[in-house]
Amino acid sequence: MTEVRHDQFAARQTGTPPAGEDWIAELTSSGSVRDDALRRLHALLLRGARFQVSRMSALRAMVGAAQVEDIITLAADEAMVAVLTKLGTFEGRSRFTTWAYKFAVLQAAVELRRQAWSRREVPLDAAPALIEPRPSPDEYAEGAELAAAVRDAIDRVLTPHQRRIALALIVEEIPIDVLAERLGTNRNALYKSLHDTRSRLRAHLALEGYLAPTTRSPGEAR
Amino acid sequence: MTAAPRPLASDAVRRLTTDPGPWLSCDDCFRLVDRYVESLLGADPQPLAADLAAMPAHLAGCAACSEEAATLLVLAATDAGIDSDEALRRARLS
Repeated sequence: MTEVRHDQFAARQTGTPPAGEDWIAELTSSGSVRDDALRRLHALLLRGARFQVSRMSALRAMVGAAQVEDIITLAADEAMVAVLTKLGTFEGRSRFTTWAYKFAVLQAAVELRRQAWSRREVPLDAAPALIEPRPSPDEYAEGAELAAAVRDAIDRVLTPHQRRIALALIVEEIPIDVLAERLGTNRNALYKSLHDTRSRLRAHLALEGYLAPTTRSPGEAR
Repeated sequence: MTAAPRPLASDAVRRLTTDPGPWLSCDDCFRLVDRYVESLLGADPQPLAADLAAMPAHLAGCAACSEEAATLLVLAATDAGIDSDEALRRARLS
């Protein structure tokens, strides 16, 4: 059985659609066929949302059980709208269920992060100062010099904006969606800042001899 | 309000200096993630398609996308009756 299912994924990779996926036809039909497909789709999205929330135990503990159920239901409802709105963009290059699940997973994760942090303050006007940690003997032996070089590079080569975003995401571990909402921006923009920060830090640390230079193949975008 | 001083732990050093790889936005990661996780579930995984090549570095660098991709991989594997552990290890997701 497992090999058969593996073969379905292999067939998908070569562009051959597996049998039995009638979702698009059913969701775009009418009457009881469509109603039944909508019910099954909503159940699938509820499952996806519930599973995502179940894997986020630390954040789940920060909101009450009733609120968790609300988050799951809201996420499934919003994912349902997203899936039906984007139905025409489904290319059949993955299973329909995998494609649909991702909307529920995203909505559930974003909403739980948002709710869990809703009462927590997020300092926005400046990044924290970095102080020397007390490393274990192993950490001291392996990474104290690099850590000091990174602290120095953060202060010397990053812009104030890059420093604030990087430390909020990496040191303070503020979820990217939460930080985006508080700053009035979006996940893409914050991740771009973090991407550029890493490139800049790595280039500086390579010049200083702490890291090997990053190499890219000729056609690889930066 | 200014945040209190914080230590720079070794894990933070590692995540700050992770090779970011070629640029891929979170929106593009979302667009591709269903194909990417299924590519990891084949019995004999093939080399990644060219348009999926930036996914591993993005997922290594974006905690939120990585968390969501891991869930999607487990859901897809479970529905297909496949053990997801090997695929999670291969993708370095948890």
